[in-house]
Amino acid sequence: MKVTYKWLKDFVDIDDTPEKLADRLTEAGFEVEELIYQNSHLHDVKVGRIEKITKHPSADKLQICDVNLGESRAQIITAATNVFEGAVVPVSLPGADLVNGIKIQKSKLRGVDSEGMFCSGEELGIDDSYIDGASVDGILILPESFTLGEDIDKALGLDDVIYDINITPNRPDCMSVVGIAREVCAIYGKPFKVPNLSYKTSAEKVEDYLSVERKSEACLRYMAAVVKDVKIEKSPDFIRRRLFAVGIKAINTIVDLTNYVLIEMGQPMHAFDKSKIGGGKIVVRQANKGERLEVLNHNSYELSSDDLVIADSDKAMVIAGVIGGMDSAISASTKDAVIEAAVFDLKSVRLTSRRVGVRTDSSARFEKGVCFVSAEQGMNRFLSLIYELKLGTIVSGVIDEYTSKPKQREISCSCKQIWDILGLEIPQMDILKILTGLGLECKLENGVIRAYVPFMREDLENEYDLAEEVIRIYGYSAYDKLQTRLFENSVVTEGKLDDRTKLERKIKNSLVASGYYEVLNYSLCPPDICEKLNITDNRRFMIKIANPISEEISHLRSTMAHSLLTSIAYNISVGNKELSIFEAGRTYQPKQLPLTELPTETNFIGLASTEKDFYEFKGAVLNAVEQTGVKYSLLRSKQTYLHPGRSADVVDENENVVATFGQIHPLVAKNYDLPKQTMYGEINLDLLLPYLEKHFMVKPVSKFPIVERDLAIVVKEEIANSDLIAAIKSACGKLFYEVKLFDIYRSQSLGEGVKSLAYNIKLSDENKTLTDQEVTDVMARVIKALKFRYGASLR
Amino acid sequence: MIEQISGLREDAEKEIRLAQNKSELNAVRVKYLGKAGLLTQVLRGMREVSPEMRPKIGALVNEVRDSLEALFKEEESKFENLEMQQELSKSAIDITEPSKNSQRGALHPLSRVYETLIDTCVGLGFQVVDGPEVELDYYNFEALNVPKNHPARDMQDTFFVSDNILLRSQTSSVQARIMQKLKPPFKIISPGRVYRNDSDSTHSPVFHQLEGLVIDENVSMADLKAMLTALMRKTFGEETQIRFRPSFFPFTEPSVEVDVTCPICHGSGCRICKGTGFMELLGAGIVNPKVLEMGGIDSKKYRGFAFGFGVDRVAMVKDGIGDIRSMFRNDIRFLKQMK
Repeated sequence: MKVTYKWLKDFVDIDDTPEKLADRLTEAGFEVEELIYQNSHLHDVKVGRIEKITKHPSADKLQICDVNLGESRAQIITAATNVFEGAVVPVSLPGADLVNGIKIQKSKLRGVDSEGMFCSGEELGIDDSYIDGASVDGILILPESFTLGEDIDKALGLDDVIYDINITPNRPDCMSVVGIAREVCAIYGKPFKVPNLSYKTSAEKVEDYLSVERKSEACLRYMAAVVKDVKIEKSPDFIRRRLFAVGIKAINTIVDLTNYVLIEMGQPMHAFDKSKIGGGKIVVRQANKGERLEVLNHNSYELSSDDLVIADSDKAMVIAGVIGGMDSAISASTKDAVIEAAVFDLKSVRLTSRRVGVRTDSSARFEKGVCFVSAEQGMNRFLSLIYELKLGTIVSGVIDEYTSKPKQREISCSCKQIWDILGLEIPQMDILKILTGLGLECKLENGVIRAYVPFMREDLENEYDLAEEVIRIYGYSAYDKLQTRLFENSVVTEGKLDDRTKLERKIKNSLVASGYYEVLNYSLCPPDICEKLNITDNRRFMIKIANPISEEISHLRSTMAHSLLTSIAYNISVGNKELSIFEAGRTYQPKQLPLTELPTETNFIGLASTEKDFYEFKGAVLNAVEQTGVKYSLLRSKQTYLHPGRSADVVDENENVVATFGQIHPLVAKNYDLPKQTMYGEINLDLLLPYLEKHFMVKPVSKFPIVERDLAIVVKEEIANSDLIAAIKSACGKLFYEVKLFDIYRSQSLGEGVKSLAYNIKLSDENKTLTDQEVTDVMARVIKALKFRYGASLR
Repeated sequence: MIEQISGLREDAEKEIRLAQNKSELNAVRVKYLGKAGLLTQVLRGMREVSPEMRPKIGALVNEVRDSLEALFKEEESKFENLEMQQELSKSAIDITEPSKNSQRGALHPLSRVYETLIDTCVGLGFQVVDGPEVELDYYNFEALNVPKNHPARDMQDTFFVSDNILLRSQTSSVQARIMQKLKPPFKIISPGRVYRNDSDSTHSPVFHQLEGLVIDENVSMADLKAMLTALMRKTFGEETQIRFRPSFFPFTEPSVEVDVTCPICHGSGCRICKGTGFMELLGAGIVNPKVLEMGGIDSKKYRGFAFGFGVDRVAMVKDGIGDIRSMFRNDIRFLKQMK
């Protein structure tokens, strides 16, 4: 929202400088995002008159001008062709620094001195809507009435200061000059200067000219007035200048006035050419399905029955609150005008504005909420300006259609309630003064405030709202020096981590210790990741975002694999070939599509590496899993994105796959452009949660010595180590203490398709020292078992 | 004979000192103290000594033997020490070769900051709770006093999955869920991932927040200030100050933006804080009583405060990371700097 310093001054006396005012507004919750001095590029530009023009002695296209600057004269050389003797022009002198970046200094042009430059409208930042001649391709020729030597910013009225203010959604009333001015009054404790709202009318009655039928409740109030014999011409300077300052192009008196009132009062206005209103009747109704309307942005829109329109007896004229139609608009030939000030349901305007894709200054205000009384204030202000500027004859009476007038809200609360919320004891009189300054009618009795809320402050409902009003005007700096003991008035509560965070930290720390770096990816992904990952199960069904930024991040990932492999691929592409990474995050699995209930979100830690071999990678995964107390076994993995012979699932006692790891499938390696031996794994945190704590039942350590035996056997390649270990364990029976594979050996002399495994077996008895005979017997049983079950031979 | 013994002693002591190594020393020992050693032979000659002199001579020989033995031991340990030294220096290895167990990796800067923030809050009596990222419109908006089609919805560009289901745009969505679950008084924080339809050098469509909510009978804006001061001091250092500025959030009233003294210049003004000495980091306020009521909490009895902020930004400020996108780019050269 843009307002100007001078415009604000119409409604409140401001003693502070523009900068200080900006600070105070920001401190009160109206953040001034930009403070713009209109004249910041107009210094050293003055009004001058060309007294004499002579030809440049050595350049055909240049002319030497003798310029009268009132108290001084200057010689200026110009190439402009639209200048003439007697022309009054803007003259930029040495030191000037124009909007287009041109800096002026004394110079010589083909041997003749030039002390400056004449300016075009563009170089001053203005066009024809601001002053005639400002859009011509050449020098701006000023009216002869301008004072020679006057600074151009003063002469053109470009000496205001513009505030671009961020208005929070709870304060639609401040999308106006008067709204901001009321805040300024409260901040400085100054009175609000009420704008002139009075005017005189002719004797004719508005009912004789127009009737209004309000057929939809989406229109809360509809006011209409008639102005006869309107003067459609250029608006007076002050109107055009102010509209220019806030970024609105001046068009003609009536259109400019609607905009002026919109900015000043916050009330969107609309003006119709009365002769274009069929049947002399305005009907406020929902649009007919398929009804079309060509509007002021030169587009034509097809409307639906959800859209509210202002129509005449047979056709739509305006998309209510959004944009007016071409047909009924004010034009140079308009004789009588109908002026509208209305209040529409904010949701209706919002939905229509979104649906047709048109946002205007009107819709921006209506969709945030325009209050009931705003319409009459806007209408009165508009008509008083018509009267004051003599722009037409106002017909007596204003048509005013509405369902019911709102009641004024009353809030009653004690000062203590406000103090308790704020934790600060602001003096009662200050509270009273602040609320009164904001336009609330207040009574203070026995520490209790009864406040009547003005209609435009629909945001104020209870003591919390009043507390906020008080503190933002009193100043939040009151907290700067406040020393409060933490939670001195509160119950002591126990702080604790949730189990998932605990588990996630354990596993992350384990992976860091194994040499892995944590990465962070979006949980959003493109639609085709399951094809790339060779995934054929339910994870193919991913949740799609209805309004994605791009296809690349249009779905919610159903697996961590895409994220990790993409991070690896990125690193390889920038030359980081060796890396080991992990990521903690979620996957999202819909229970049905399209989604009717929330999906299952699963917490995973995914990991990947280009530098670790299968067994190193396995070590990292299992070390991480063993941070918990889970009892697991390893099975060949069924994950289709992994190499079927080089991958494993970590399965708990309930047959849940708590982790998966292995070399990626060659197809996946190809799809992601990764080395074949890239490893990927994932740990399902949610499935490991039940095992978060490790539980131990300690058995006493045997007092008797351990006996060790080494055993080297030869078996076929496909025999698994885990099976051999299980066989050794069971053959040892009660005497088993530990078994370790300490060597694997393959050679031509052993033969094709076989391997030699060497185990270190430890035996122990809790109750006695083992005899040689007992040990020999056990080892014989082991060898027999391995031979019988796995065809093992001794090496 | 006494002279002979003294002479042997002197000779032996001289030879012990002259020995260059353990074997030379051993030869000297054999020469004097061995079975056929010179001193042993003296004892053998005792037969020729008068009986009254024998005890005297015997004592003298024993004394000399003991003293020589001590000397041998002393010299011997010198050689042993020397040998040990030589052995040690010979077996020295290059301690700068890389360690064999894998080298450590590192946590992402975001995780490290989360740990500090969460542990500080836990120490202040907060319990950590979690909520879904794919969320019902109700919890993300309606229960936070943002009805459908409310202008405040424009404050955040939200990703929708369906009319009623969205990707949460704020961890505040956990507030209403937790109010339905826990009985006040309580203090909770909820860390997590949030989503907005926005992407440039300061906005990421996916980022992380930490939400805090305290419900008790008598908490105020002053408690909020004390709490956030404590949290920010643990995060940015003990000199950190915070200040409030008015703001608007539909779910708090009053609402404030919270500025924190710039951790780079400590408040004197620098390029990072645009010369203000402060950085806008958090949003906070007193929980709007409507939100308490929607969460099933008696707003006449209880009051609450809430705060929330982007944790990515805190990590970036703390670690001097300029572009939020580098937090998600995962370049290992970036991550290795966090070791």
